[in-house]
Amino acid sequence: MRPQDAERAKQAAAARVVSSYLARERGQHRLEVLINDTLYHEQRRLERENRKDPGVRADLSFYRGVRRALSRADTGELETLVTSMAGRFASEIAGHFDERVYRVATTLVPAGLSLLLSASEPHKLASLSSLRSALREHLLIQGAVDQVRALMSRGTLVVVPTHSSHLDSIALGYAVYLLGMPPLLYGAGLNLFKNPLISFFMQNLGAYRVDRKKNASLYKDVLKEYATATLELGYNNLFFPGGTRSRSGAVEQKLKKGLLGTAMTAYVRNLQAGKPNPNLYFVPCTISYKLVLEAETLIDDYLKEVGKSRYIIEDDEFSKPRRILNFLRSLISLDSRVVITFGEVLDIVGNRVDPEGTSRDARGRPIDPVSYVRREGQPVHDPQRDSQYTGEVANAVAQAFLRDNVLMSTHVVAHALLTLLRRHNPGLDLYRLLRTGGGQPALGAGLIADEVDAIRKALREQPHGPRLSPELLQPDALAVVDDALRHFQTYHSEPAAVREGEQVRHRDRNLLYYYANRLRHYGLPGFDRRDEVAHG
Amino acid sequence: MDECVAVLGSGSWGTTLAKVAADNGRTVLLWARRPELSEEINRTRRNQAYLPDISLPDGVQGCADLAQICARTKLIFLVVPSHGLREIAAKLGDLVSGEHVIVHATKGIERESHKRMSEVVREETCVRRVGVLSGPNLARELALGQPAGTLVASRYEEVFVRCQQVLNNGYFRAYSSEDVIGAEVGGAFKNVVALAAGIAHGLGLGDNSKALLITRGLSEMTRLGVAMGAEPATFAGMAGIGDLIATCSSTLSRNHQVGMRLARGETIEQIQAQMQMVAEGVKTARAIQEFALRHELDLPIVRAVHRLLYEGCDVPTALRDLMATPTGIERAALG
Repeated sequence: MRPQDAERAKQAAAARVVSSYLARERGQHRLEVLINDTLYHEQRRLERENRKDPGVRADLSFYRGVRRALSRADTGELETLVTSMAGRFASEIAGHFDERVYRVATTLVPAGLSLLLSASEPHKLASLSSLRSALREHLLIQGAVDQVRALMSRGTLVVVPTHSSHLDSIALGYAVYLLGMPPLLYGAGLNLFKNPLISFFMQNLGAYRVDRKKNASLYKDVLKEYATATLELGYNNLFFPGGTRSRSGAVEQKLKKGLLGTAMTAYVRNLQAGKPNPNLYFVPCTISYKLVLEAETLIDDYLKEVGKSRYIIEDDEFSKPRRILNFLRSLISLDSRVVITFGEVLDIVGNRVDPEGTSRDARGRPIDPVSYVRREGQPVHDPQRDSQYTGEVANAVAQAFLRDNVLMSTHVVAHALLTLLRRHNPGLDLYRLLRTGGGQPALGAGLIADEVDAIRKALREQPHGPRLSPELLQPDALAVVDDALRHFQTYHSEPAAVREGEQVRHRDRNLLYYYANRLRHYGLPGFDRRDEVAHG
Repeated sequence: MDECVAVLGSGSWGTTLAKVAADNGRTVLLWARRPELSEEINRTRRNQAYLPDISLPDGVQGCADLAQICARTKLIFLVVPSHGLREIAAKLGDLVSGEHVIVHATKGIERESHKRMSEVVREETCVRRVGVLSGPNLARELALGQPAGTLVASRYEEVFVRCQQVLNNGYFRAYSSEDVIGAEVGGAFKNVVALAAGIAHGLGLGDNSKALLITRGLSEMTRLGVAMGAEPATFAGMAGIGDLIATCSSTLSRNHQVGMRLARGETIEQIQAQMQMVAEGVKTARAIQEFALRHELDLPIVRAVHRLLYEGCDVPTALRDLMATPTGIERAALG
């Protein structure tokens, strides 16, 4: 993002939040409540932080000042106080912009990845060019690529991918580079910026900072307005609509509407401002891995207490450079691919969009998207209506996720193994089965292959996805089993399952569960309907 | 300026809704499948076939041209039988924009697909702001200006607000809800209970039996609704218990008539051979039974009606079996 635009977005965000509070009923009173709410949440957050950290000390001192001023503030000063708090949040979100870094980042994205690798093992630095080609070989970009490219010049894109790993944003950032698209703006968690290896990439993506520890509603409002302002300035954005990495391994079906909704706000404002290219397009996209870098931590977190997972994980595989390196090496040595699949582009209410940028209804008839927001001839905001429209988009994106989810050998073989284990241990509930493994420490490879055959047959009969990765289509199901086992044995600290002669021994059943969950939501046997609701 | 509205469907219910809106000073474009009917309405101010003794206000304008209707109004009430709704919706799909609002007042589930009517509208048009009007509304009583209420459900607040502005008056009250599924399931399900009520009536059963039927019917309706994603509380309102009470009290509906004749020992084939149109309850019973089997729902009344209609069971056997189903905790059934 150009520095002057970052500044504009920052200022617009703070100013709009303040004026939106003032515009509401009893605006002044709301401001006072807002200040107290922010002070309360920030105080609580800061209590848990390290007080020696200069940033924490600066925050503490700032809020002391706010508290003092609040005690004697008249109504006019309340506005000044909120403006200064919102401005502080906005500055932090936008970050300190280094134009030099930005220029390097946008032109030399692949160099970033080599930097990542070289920094972790400087003595084994591979040559830049070989890394670049390796990356290119191990990233497969498919789906509506041409459409996405064509629409770039017709409006602003909001890319909405599935999320299983912190590597997602890097893979996607690189894909976008390969496609010749400008970098995507991305609200990355503060913990990612603290990781020196990855912080560089965050800049590549044009990332802004999101501090998930900040719970004050003022902060969340400023964050949303910042994203909205960047969309209005025409910057393509990347939102992970699941909100966080999928803990269970399943494709996200319950999507968060908060950030998605900023697109509608930006669209109406674009129309009201008479911009030449007011359209916003949602680009659903799936990112599929045979192996997931953080699988072990994510599934452990999920199983610890379903529904009460930690929202922020700072000590996972992603924070260990060696693990990242091992992961990438495994990827390369196994000749495994990260597959990015772009789905059909959607308009502001979830209609399909053709490559010319025209919205189409379910029967293919052209529609003018402006008609959805027009009232008496003028485009208008209507928060209740717009949040429902965003719900429609969320549904359409969730369907696109299921349609374009790419299943791989690891997913199907994990599901086959678990299905067999469940069949052999009918009395055990799932959690006990995962813990103990039941009565059979190993299963015949042939048996697993038969199960794989049955599963892929059932998958092929699904009317709306998923996609099957090429190795799953090979006639020999045993080869599919071996491909998955090779992957399981290569990267994880404990292999999910290993081949021992004609037998396959299951070792880390939690991992099996994690990978098998990628088949969830298709109504396949082995996934209880009620269970699916709990998984979201 | 007050919004001009359209009512598509000139049966007794469509004509009545048009009259209510026109009584409120609105211009109502009333569309009929047959242009002759539109002409007749404009000429005589009456709908001779469906509401012969009701005089229609001047605000009701018969109109056979869908394109003209869609150009003149953005608020469309769709009041056609469930089996014809998709065809009309598809025609509308060529004419509407995202600015239109479609509220259907059709109680039924699509026969082959088992889809709710709002789903059909969504599939056939680009309209997002869709709603459903459903409640205890016997057209003739309302046309005579007798006090009544109904439910308008939509995910979009402005849909029910606009409907309330158009419909509310001294004799009609439209309540609002966001639970589209609940309103649609209630409206469709009550037709099956109406059939059962007709049977009870035909057997000469009294008020205790009727109360048992209504209460357990409500329980089944709620279970089905919750399984389809409805809010249980909806069934305690206009589109649930309200519609059940009216339905089971009225002896004039087609569903009730079919039930009474079944009780007299006629088969459904014999009855249908003499009726011009299939009663909604006959189609709905099959759709719901299929849904219940697929989702392992226990709906004894639906099962009994289904056995009578489609499995060659006679009335005494079906009733005996129904009364033999185990009784459990009453509230457990309410989901």
